[in-house]
Amino acid sequence: MGDLFLSVFQRPNFLTFVIIFLWGFYIMITRYNLVKKLVGLYLVQTSVIFFLVSISAKKGATVPILLSTTDPVQVANYTNPLPHVLTLTAIVVGVATLGVALALCSAIYRHYGSLDEEEILKRLE
Amino acid sequence: MSHQLPAILFLLPLFAAIAMPVVCLKHREWSRPISLGVLAAMVVASLLNVISIIKFGEVRYAFSGWTAPLGIEWVADGFASVVMVMVSVLGLLGIVFAGPTSPKGLHGRIVHYYVLILLLISALTGIVFAGDLFNLFVFLEVAAIASYALVGMAGGRALFASFRYLVLGTLGASFYLLGVSYFYAVSGTLNMADIAEKVPQLLSSKAFLGGILFMFIGLGIKMAMVPFHVWMPEAYTYAPESVSPILASLVTKVVLVGWVRIIYWVLGVNVIVHEIPILFLVGLLGMLGAVIGAVLALVQRNIKTMFAYGGISHIGIILIGVSQGNQTGFVGGVFYLLNDAVMQATLFFLAGVAICQYGIRTVEELGGIGKQAPWFTSALIVVALGMIGLPPTGGFFGKWYIILGALEANNYVAVTAVLLSTLLTLGYFVRIFESIFRQTPISAGINQSEIPFSLKLSIGVTSAAVLLLGLLSDPIVQLLLTKSIPPGL
Repeated sequence: MGDLFLSVFQRPNFLTFVIIFLWGFYIMITRYNLVKKLVGLYLVQTSVIFFLVSISAKKGATVPILLSTTDPVQVANYTNPLPHVLTLTAIVVGVATLGVALALCSAIYRHYGSLDEEEILKRLE
Repeated sequence: MSHQLPAILFLLPLFAAIAMPVVCLKHREWSRPISLGVLAAMVVASLLNVISIIKFGEVRYAFSGWTAPLGIEWVADGFASVVMVMVSVLGLLGIVFAGPTSPKGLHGRIVHYYVLILLLISALTGIVFAGDLFNLFVFLEVAAIASYALVGMAGGRALFASFRYLVLGTLGASFYLLGVSYFYAVSGTLNMADIAEKVPQLLSSKAFLGGILFMFIGLGIKMAMVPFHVWMPEAYTYAPESVSPILASLVTKVVLVGWVRIIYWVLGVNVIVHEIPILFLVGLLGMLGAVIGAVLALVQRNIKTMFAYGGISHIGIILIGVSQGNQTGFVGGVFYLLNDAVMQATLFFLAGVAICQYGIRTVEELGGIGKQAPWFTSALIVVALGMIGLPPTGGFFGKWYIILGALEANNYVAVTAVLLSTLLTLGYFVRIFESIFRQTPISAGINQSEIPFSLKLSIGVTSAAVLLLGLLSDPIVQLLLTKSIPPGL
């Protein structure tokens, strides 16, 4: 148990990821306001993106553009660009989802006059 | 030329969707013929694709000429091509059906509707052909965003259903992305074939197992597998009548196809049968789904909700089929998937007609429709035979092979679950027909307006397809057995 505890703290990025993920999840479950739920959802998405970036971090590495064309390529000198590209795509997907979600929220507000889930459920019955 | 077909199939609806808001700015009525033309071209292209796969073998399409591990690769093998035919044909029929109903459920937003449907179809094409885990994620999300918007277009109650769908669907996508990043962290690649080669060395890694589990949870939410199905009945009930057939028949099934692709082609048959008990988990949730979905369908009053729960129970039956780990069960599952897509489309077409033409929403109100609309009742009888699984229909042969596969795997619990679900399906159709054939019609104010031709056409074609898939089951199953079996099964 103690080993597990220590090994968790050797990876602060994983710990941060788990905290942000669960925080977002907690907000989604406990808040009744639809916009607050979206904030929680966005935290969950961001935590996954954070995870993807953090696993690609490399100490002492630079941008993946060859420093010299004549020397043999030293992989340890360059960061891996792929996770960052994936991250950009995931951010774009997240923004598009958020846009649709906010549009739905505003339509719900116009229709029901409230963004509170309990109040809307009461009016649905 | 033929090796370009997967890309053509994807780009046709995508470009049409992008061009449509501009082209149809002044002439909104053009949007329908354009969409019909695009989908008809897709049907032709997907059939050509199947023929070329049979003749020349599978196609691995490398985008922009960047080959596999570096670039993005699409795989058009027998499995993907057969599913692609299903997507394009049902997409076309869904649009044929949509014409006359669109003013009703959509408040005149015709161009929006066709743009979103074409985007949805192109994203589904991407999911079917994707040979890359991250590419699959992107298309899942494009399909999902189009579906949220389509569900929400009805306004009112649908807005809230769509919001719930969005929250759960995005959560599922986040889980899937998390699984993909685990896979990437341990294997250093995203290409499915490339990961499949590295899987034997990764089996001891806990991150790899975690990645599988997260992907399963994420895709399970998207395919409405039972503990995660809560968004689906509500969303499909309140979606516009012209939207729910396409969503119900295609979206969940295509996500299931993506999951089958991951477990059989990425993890590999040897691993899932002998090393990781993921098939057991899939089968268990499938059995739960097959029974619970049917039980919940039995107690519904709203016909669309009832059919949506029926769809959940059939997702369970397909999962039972593909989780047996032998050829018979796998082919049965895939064949049942094709049948189920056709049957769900027919059911939601019929529900749409009941709502738009007769103003009927609940099972009780169906009384007296038997005399008013004999074609409605006969189509419903045909599709009920398919849903229950009686011999002349494709549903029978699908369940037959699934049960044979379960017997081959000595999995008697799965056999019991399929039979129990069949009995419960019989139960809810008995409720519907009991209400239809009741002597005293209780809904007096049935509107006897003429049924538009396009409604009859789409319902006629799909209910004929329910029978035709049964009559042609032998060649189709042979095709699946020879061309669509994952390597090593």
